[in-house]
Amino acid sequence: MAEEFNPEEVKKACESYVKKKGALAFGLANVETLERIAPPGCGPLSMLPKTKSVLCVGVGGGTRGSWAADAKTLAYIGDTETMAYRIAYGLAFYIEAKFGYRSIFVPPDMNPEKGARVPMQSLKLHAEVAGIGARSMAGDILLHPEFGMMYYASVFTEMELPPDEPMADNPCPHPSCVTLYEQSGQTPCMRFCPVECLSGSIGEDGKVEEMNFDAHACAEMSQQYEAIPSVLLDTLDAKDPIERGMALHGPENQVIWYKLSIGAGELLSLCYECMRVCPITQTAPMANPVARGAGMRQKVVEAEAAARVEHEAEQNGVKGG
Amino acid sequence: MAYGVTQQMIDTYGETVFKLSLNKQTRRGDAVRLLDFEAIEAARAETGLTDEEIAERIGLLPEQVSVVRVFTERKHHKIDQHRRIFHLGGGKRWKKEEYSNPVERLHIRKEAMMIREALNFNPELAQRYIEKGYWINETLNGYLLEHAINTPDATAIIHPGGELTYKEFKTQVDQLTIGLMELGLGKSDIVAVQLPNILDFIVSYFAITAFGGVMQTIHMPYRDADIEFLLGHSKARAVICLPAFKEFPTADVMLGMKEKLGSLEHVITIGNNASEGAVALESLKIEGEPNIGNPPVGSDPFLLLYTSGTTSNPKGVPLTYQNMIGNARLSVPEFHMTASDRNISAAPFSHLYGLYNFHVALCAGATNILLPAFSPPDLARTIEETKATTVFLGPPHAASMINAGLMEAHDFSSVRFSMFSGSACPPQLLETYRSNIPGTKIGQLWGMTETAGATYCRDDGAEDIPLRSAGPAAPGNEVRIVSGEDGAPLPAGTEGDLQVRGSSVFPGYLDNPEANADAFTEDGWFKSGDLAIIDDDGNLTLTGRTKDVISRGGVKFNPADIEDLIIQHPKVEQAAMVPMPDPVLGEKACCFVTLLGEEKVTLDELCSLLDDKKIPKNKWPERLEIIDEMPLTPTRKVIKRRLIEKL
Repeated sequence: MAEEFNPEEVKKACESYVKKKGALAFGLANVETLERIAPPGCGPLSMLPKTKSVLCVGVGGGTRGSWAADAKTLAYIGDTETMAYRIAYGLAFYIEAKFGYRSIFVPPDMNPEKGARVPMQSLKLHAEVAGIGARSMAGDILLHPEFGMMYYASVFTEMELPPDEPMADNPCPHPSCVTLYEQSGQTPCMRFCPVECLSGSIGEDGKVEEMNFDAHACAEMSQQYEAIPSVLLDTLDAKDPIERGMALHGPENQVIWYKLSIGAGELLSLCYECMRVCPITQTAPMANPVARGAGMRQKVVEAEAAARVEHEAEQNGVKGG
Repeated sequence: MAYGVTQQMIDTYGETVFKLSLNKQTRRGDAVRLLDFEAIEAARAETGLTDEEIAERIGLLPEQVSVVRVFTERKHHKIDQHRRIFHLGGGKRWKKEEYSNPVERLHIRKEAMMIREALNFNPELAQRYIEKGYWINETLNGYLLEHAINTPDATAIIHPGGELTYKEFKTQVDQLTIGLMELGLGKSDIVAVQLPNILDFIVSYFAITAFGGVMQTIHMPYRDADIEFLLGHSKARAVICLPAFKEFPTADVMLGMKEKLGSLEHVITIGNNASEGAVALESLKIEGEPNIGNPPVGSDPFLLLYTSGTTSNPKGVPLTYQNMIGNARLSVPEFHMTASDRNISAAPFSHLYGLYNFHVALCAGATNILLPAFSPPDLARTIEETKATTVFLGPPHAASMINAGLMEAHDFSSVRFSMFSGSACPPQLLETYRSNIPGTKIGQLWGMTETAGATYCRDDGAEDIPLRSAGPAAPGNEVRIVSGEDGAPLPAGTEGDLQVRGSSVFPGYLDNPEANADAFTEDGWFKSGDLAIIDDDGNLTLTGRTKDVISRGGVKFNPADIEDLIIQHPKVEQAAMVPMPDPVLGEKACCFVTLLGEEKVTLDELCSLLDDKKIPKNKWPERLEIIDEMPLTPTRKVIKRRLIEKL
């Protein structure tokens, strides 16, 4: 049986842990509330039946510079969700190791039984109920008044900790967005959406009245995995050999296969034989993480210098002899 | 189908499932944040349901909902949407009006793909041409744009109605481009043009090619039958022509073609007014700058010319920018053409030679002078008035000016260089022409519709070369002489079959597999059908046509030399010899002549002349036919198949 701990102190210790690891926001969602709101089979108890607490972390997006970059660059460097996952993963271990309660890192993935639009757990719902984000006009992306857009991750634990409340106010829409809406009928997020997937209205109180989100239109642009079956079916349907080839080998589709090969690891990735036989790769002193960590570079450099002196001496000896 | 799902089930429930699913989400107010459970429950269907929830609501199995949803999602899915991400960020904001789906924007009509599919270049040679820089990414309108930006006030065109700077020329082209695009014409669509060398021809040419279209030329003398064949074969979508030409009701005939041929959609006549069913060219000139979604590139076809058809039906010759404009660009330094040159073509633009020299001047940023239709006085007067510096003409043009005394009567001193092509060039004629313009250079060019400018004299070569040859191969090209018997290459100075290979050589005939099967050797040499000799320095001299060769008892001879002698007879105007079947010898020669006057000539008289010239008897004609008119192509080549048909 786990040791007794002060829940408030444990909560503070967890917050301290995740913030040291780089989280910007931390909160706890009420399990009962989540169970009530989540669709059947999608609440915490369906995943970890004795869940008592849902701990949520929020991690900032990319650097400020990343927001100034072009979109395909931002797609790579602005996406920091894996950092949130790492922190939550560590937090689950931390709770088990430090406090002895069973915990899990909540898989941030789609439900394999329900398809691409249904998550195993709604991390957004967790974070919203935990009070570290509120739904925005932009397709319900959560926003935080201090940290803006964050990526979220959750931990379920059997340790009972005091939950937080949802945020008292919703920062969305921003007053300037309300002004633009009044002038043009659109908020900036609606106006500049490249697939026009957002629409809605703002009430006279300056709050969101209605938000419409065409998730399909959004996903067909931004989620390329959705294109794969279509690409394959288009390939089968194509009558013309060039069309058929392009369905598979068009540049944007080649990127899909590239991504797949990365996901498949060594099975579909490079063989690296060229690097295996490359003397630079194989002997570079700092390529070895052990050497990097143990201050080996100086020793290696000194050893190499000594070897050179010895070699030159041998050469001179041969010449002299 | 799985789980008892039918296509009918997908059709019936698909859109409902799609709307209820998480594909479409609506939120009213802020119910979750406010923990307003009643509102959350009330809005579940709007916020999006799982497949189980949808199944419960509409009375299908959850598994059936999944199938119905997936198939409906596929119906809605547009796989190219993610391309939009390439147009975002980095200081850019999404502007719908500035984006077009590349699949839609770059679409080419299926019918228009025919000419693109005719581009069968030898891949090894293509690689060589690119590596050597013979083929680059250049287009007709690319040069126009370059000059309009860099030398906007330089004179681009001098025509009977005035002058146009490059900037003004570009404006006119832009206007017509908009109008032609508004007709629905697009990339690789073929637009035929039957016009003389007037400004409308040139503006049309640039406008057609500006949006990626292909210009097909129709020679001015062509009438109903020829036009029907050409438009039917090319499947041109539009034709630009005169309302009428002399006695020929061009517009009416073209409108008749529109009815007859399913492919011809638009008849455009120059001027402000058009007859019913036609479009006035001027009405297509619309102010503004065209928005061209699928602009032409160097590898695109842009010209469709037809062979003159001396031996068979005309054959369609598609040419790419890399063929034709590359040939012109590479010629600029060879002719020392500069922006200060003023070039005039006596040849029609409907013919390769006319367009070739226009292109050379364009590439150099020079001025092109338009001579709407050749007449000796008009050419002489225009050269004098415009102070033309370079002249591209044929021997008959020069002969007629010389015979009329026009070269003495007009000031030709501005002409620094004259190029001859199109038919055999008698040395005496060239010498006389040159002597009339002190200090000028002359040259000969040999080319075919299939080869563009294949060989030509340089303007800094030895003085005697242009009198006897068409010079060495153009940059990017090679020529060789091979045996007509076994195709083996022959040594210098030996007459044989002329073959040419190079960056300006066409990629194969349009929709003509029979002709293509015999047009090239395996290693990419085009069989020109000409007989020629190449000297030790690589200079080419044409001696005749392989198909004109007469085989008398197995002994072959080229009748061109004999024809040249026969036209020296004082009673003979034109002469052409063709083979006639003979049961003993296989073939014998028949000579067709037209007369200079009323007095008839006899076969004996002609043979006597040849005897005097020491011509062996086996080359003498053995039958004489006197005809009123020699059948000629628009470029004044004898159509010998028509003579053979008369035998």
